[in-house]
Parts: sequence; structure tokens; C-alpha cells
Amino acid sequence: MLEIKDLKVSVEGKQILKGLNLTVKKGEVHAIMGPNGSGKSTLASVIAGKEDYTVDGGSITFNGKDMLELSPDERAKEGMFLAFQYPVEIPGVSTINFLKTAISEIRQYRGLPPMEAKDFLKVLKEKQKVVEIEANLTGRSVNEGFSGGEKKRNEIFQMAMLEPSLAILDETDSGLDIDALRIVATGVNKLRTKENAFVVITHYQRLLEYIVPDFVHVLYQGRIVKSGTRELALELEGKGYDWIKKEFSELAV
Amino acid sequence: MELVTAKTNISRGVLGEAEIIKNKSLLNKWIDEAGTHLTETGNFAKGVQKKAEENFAAIGLPTKRTEDFKYTNIRSYLQDDYAAKNGSASLTESEIENVLIDDFVSVVLINGKYIPEYSRLKNLPKEVTIKSLFKALEEGNEVAIKQFNSGLEKTTNPMAMLNTALAGDGIFISIPENFSCPIPVHIANICTGEAKNFYNPRHLVYLHKNSELTLIESYHSVNHTGKTFTNSATEFIIEDTASLENYILQDEDILSQRNDVRHFTVNTGSRMNSVAISLNGGMLRNDPTIFINGENAEVHLNGLFIVKENCHTDNHTMVEHRAPNCMSNELYKGIIGDNATGVFNGKILVYRDAQKTNAYQSNKNILMGDKSTINTKPQLEIYADDVRCTHGTTTGKLNEEALFYMRSRGLNEKLAKNILLQSFAKEVSNTIKNEAFRTLIEQKIEENIQ
Repeated sequence: MLEIKDLKVSVEGKQILKGLNLTVKKGEVHAIMGPNGSGKSTLASVIAGKEDYTVDGGSITFNGKDMLELSPDERAKEGMFLAFQYPVEIPGVSTINFLKTAISEIRQYRGLPPMEAKDFLKVLKEKQKVVEIEANLTGRSVNEGFSGGEKKRNEIFQMAMLEPSLAILDETDSGLDIDALRIVATGVNKLRTKENAFVVITHYQRLLEYIVPDFVHVLYQGRIVKSGTRELALELEGKGYDWIKKEFSELAV
Repeated sequence: MELVTAKTNISRGVLGEAEIIKNKSLLNKWIDEAGTHLTETGNFAKGVQKKAEENFAAIGLPTKRTEDFKYTNIRSYLQDDYAAKNGSASLTESEIENVLIDDFVSVVLINGKYIPEYSRLKNLPKEVTIKSLFKALEEGNEVAIKQFNSGLEKTTNPMAMLNTALAGDGIFISIPENFSCPIPVHIANICTGEAKNFYNPRHLVYLHKNSELTLIESYHSVNHTGKTFTNSATEFIIEDTASLENYILQDEDILSQRNDVRHFTVNTGSRMNSVAISLNGGMLRNDPTIFINGENAEVHLNGLFIVKENCHTDNHTMVEHRAPNCMSNELYKGIIGDNATGVFNGKILVYRDAQKTNAYQSNKNILMGDKSTINTKPQLEIYADDVRCTHGTTTGKLNEEALFYMRSRGLNEKLAKNILLQSFAKEVSNTIKNEAFRTLIEQKIEENIQ
């Protein structure tokens, strides 16, 4: 589904990703862990198509298509979704209207007829239940005045509504208390199917107790330096990142 | 009521003899061209026009050094060879048709002159007076005569003096005591004609005690073949506990240059809301002054300018709190594209006696192009000690983070931009209470955000 090969990315002349490889197949959940500054959020942003980054080399293909040729909205229309680490407030635009517009754009791109109002409402109610989000939040302007937890829940709600085949969760656990974390993780688990995939980017192992990954990768200094299964996350929890830093410090040179 | 030290910022009285003579001769040229000098046609305006002539000659047209016109150099728009004219009808009914709004009382002004045969007053309640201002003066209408002779008499604004000296026949609207006009009155202002015409229409809107009016002004260009300059002045008198809703739409062509002076006198317990939407034109300047003369009055002043190409727009506002326990709230927002320039210069002046004043002012701008410009200057001048006044201004580009966020959900760039700009504009269009007109404005906004 997603294939990243030898991806090299820089920002203002500084190289952040230095040859990253990652393959995600449908039905899989991948966790990407790593210390601060290792390039986790850059990876998420580049996959989604943020334009502040320069891709110096490598490729990102998604269902066989070259994503680097596509704009952020086209990537979304192809079935990608990025849950932001810091969701943006959009005053004056309600989440419901925002989603209506997004869904209609995505369906048009895929050659599907517009969604009927009553079907939209039905899906809306259903997904609100899945992610335990209050209807009054979705009626308000996108993220405006929301608490940190509400913003993250709104991200998962939008993901549920847009039904992407690949969702990248960028530090969705940051700033969440344990109850909010559980709700967010439960939402994600309910949305997991054999047909879709998740890339969960996180600093801590904590989220992975709720969203159990099939694979765990450690990102350090712009490369994936270790890959394994869930046990790798537990090992990181026990030993911390210093172990990785020591072992791979030569990469810094 | 005494103002401690403040004086409005028009520099005056420092001109030499030679310049004063030059100003006089320019004014005399325009008076001759206009040919409707009231001193010759009636006995009601002699004094005020003579005085305006003298005052104008003493200061002349504003220059770049005139503080209140610092960012709008009138001289670059209005030159000596512009010819003063009065409005007249030279359009056909069908040319006028599409600027009218169904269901409203339509008052058609061509170059500031009231054209009864194109106006639609059949739904106008008989209680309401709408007629040519000069006709009201000639008929001896006491309110009109009194106001014309005293209204702009003390102004320090050279453009207002010029308007009084050259006054062209405009519109007079009067709402009687305790009457609430159930239907909005729409003044459709059409600018037409040849290059270098200069118009000075004068209007008067009088709301007697406890009356209500929704007054819509729209500005259009039809058969406009060259740059014209309109220097209008409108006085609004809002008597005790009366209420005015005033909406302005400027949607003209690039040849149109206008300086619209509006004086609002707000009395005890009265309320006004004026919303100015500037979309298209060559030079659009709104220059409202609000005199809050009675207690417990409420003033809302809002503006939205969405300009592009080489349009220059200027909102110069003055709110004078002369009485205690009043509130004023100002919100001006701008979206400036291409080579367009915007100006917001808003001043709140709180007199010593105006205790317990609540006055707010906010200006927010989005610059769309690399060559788009905004000059913004919020000012507070407070001589009372128990007041609550705030002002603030922000200017920036469209929020890139929000754009990326929306695009990452499947909205293309143009659509995401449109939605962000429309929601930005909506804060102002939402202050239009009349639903039909608000809907029309929302459509216009959508068309102009590209």
C-alpha cells in the first residue's frame, strides 16, 4: 500500500530524513518511535504533502502512485489521512460543513455521486458514537476553543468520517490524559479493518498499549535504525532512547 | 460641552496669501461650473455656503501632509481640471433595472441627483418623506433648512467644506416621530458620465424621536467612460431613542473615485449600526464621523473591504463620545489583493464628561499579494478617567497552517482559500441584520474572493 524508498528530506538546507525506507501493507499497524528531533513529524508532514520541505531524493508510492507528484488534497483524495500533532483552529467553519465539503470533494475525485444529506447525517451520528465525540463539538467551528483532548478526538472523528485507507497519526497521544488516550485509541481500534492501515507516530510506548502495532520501527537521525514487533516498543520503554543513541551514534558523524 | 484640548487633525490656517487666492480661484471655477449655487437660488443657505467657501480657501484641498489624508492623496485623484457638475438623468430605465433590489423601496440617484421617474416609491408608507433636498429647502422644510444651515458648519474637513460650497441636489429622507419604517429604503447610486466630472451631492437623513429606519446605499457604475470624482456628504440625525440600520455597498468600476463624508449625530438612548462593504472602484474613501451627544446611546460601525487590482480603499472613522454611559464598537476587516491598497484610520475620542464610556475598535487585514498594501492607524484619545476602551489591529497573510490542514482533508487550495476568506469576511457581513441584503452581500463577497 505505502512504500517509501531511500527518502531524503531537508528543511532550509538542513537534512532531516537521510534515506528512510518503510513498507506498509493493508491491514497493518506500524508504530514509528524515536527520540525528539529524530524526524518523526517531518516524515508525517512529507507523506501528507506539506510544502515547507524539500525532497532531495527517494520516493513515496501509495497504491502504486507517485505521491510526490500529488498535492496534499490529491493525496487525501487517494485515501491518505494525517491526524495532526497540533490540529489547527479554523474560526467560522463548522466541523460538519468542513467535512461535508471534504467528503464531496473526495467523492467527486473518485467519480462517485454526491452523498445524500440523510446518508451524511446517518454516517455522522454513527461515527460520533464510535469516537465518543459530543455533537455540539462537531457543530462548532473546527477546533476553535477546543481543549487539547477535544482537538485530538476531533481528528479521529474526521478520520472516521473520511474513511482513509491509510491514516498517519502524528503524536496523537501527546498532551492527552489517560481517559482521552483510551477514547482516542478505542476509536482507532474500532476503525481498524483488513483493508486499511495505520502509521502511529509516537514518542512513548504508552499509546501502543491501546493500539497494538504489528511492527515497531525506531527512527533516529533521519533513518529507521531498528525494526521489530511489539516487543521492541517494550524494550524501548525499559531501556529508554539512550541505548539507541549509543548504538547508532556513529550515524551522527 | 467643552473639549479639553483635542482638536481634529486637519492642519489649517498656515497658508500664505498667494495660496489662499489660488484656492479661491479654483473654488470659483467649480462654483461657476456647478451653476446651482444656493446663494443665488434661495435665501436659506447664504451664510453657510459663504462660510464654507472662506474656510475652504483658507486650507485648500488636503495634501499628503494633511494628517487625516496621509494615506489618501486626494490631489492624485482630483485635479484642478476636473469640472464640477450636477447629477442628471442620462440613462434608460433598463440600464438602471439591474441595480435595484426587489421588495425594497428604491430611490435612484444618478451622480447624486434624485431621479423620481426611475425610483420606486409605491411601497413607501405615506408617513415617510423622500424628496430632493433642494426641493425640501425651497418648500421651507424647517428641519432641512435648520440642518443644512448648521450641520457641517463646524467641520474641519476640507472635503466637507467643499461639499457645502458646491452642494449638489441630493436626497432628503425624514421618518416621523414614533414611526418604524417597515420596509428598507434602498438608495441606488449610479455613477455615469464623462471623464473629469466632479460631483458634490449633499444628502440629509432625519430620524425623529423613537423612529426606525433601515437605509441601504449601493454604488454602481453604468456607462462610465472616464474617471470621475464624487465628493458626497450625508448627514444623519438620529433623535432620542431612534434606531438606524445603514448598509453601504460600493461596487463600482475602476474609473470611479469617491470620498463619502457621513456625519451621524446620535442622541439619548438611540442606536445605529453602519456597515460599509467596499468591493470595487478606483478610489473608495469612507469618512464617517459619529457624534454621540446623548447618554445610553449605542453605536456599531463595521466595514469590510475586499479589493484587488489597483483599487485604493480608505476607511477613515471618527467616533466622538461626548456624553456618558454610551458604547461604540468598531470592526473593520480587509482582504487586499494584487496592487491594491487599503487604509484604516480609526479614532475614538472620549470627552472629559463622557464617563463610563465603552469603546472598542478592531481592524484585521489579510494581504493576498506581494504588492498588496495596508496602512492601519488605530487611535484613542481619552479625556475621561472612568472608561473602558480597547483597540487592536492585526495584518498578515492567509494562515498557511490552516490551509495545509484543510488541504490534507481533501480540499483543493483554491477552495480552502475561499472558505478561509469567506469565514473571515462573514464576521462583518453577519452584522447586517436585514436578511435579504445580507444574502446579497454574501453572494457579492463570494464573487469577489478569487
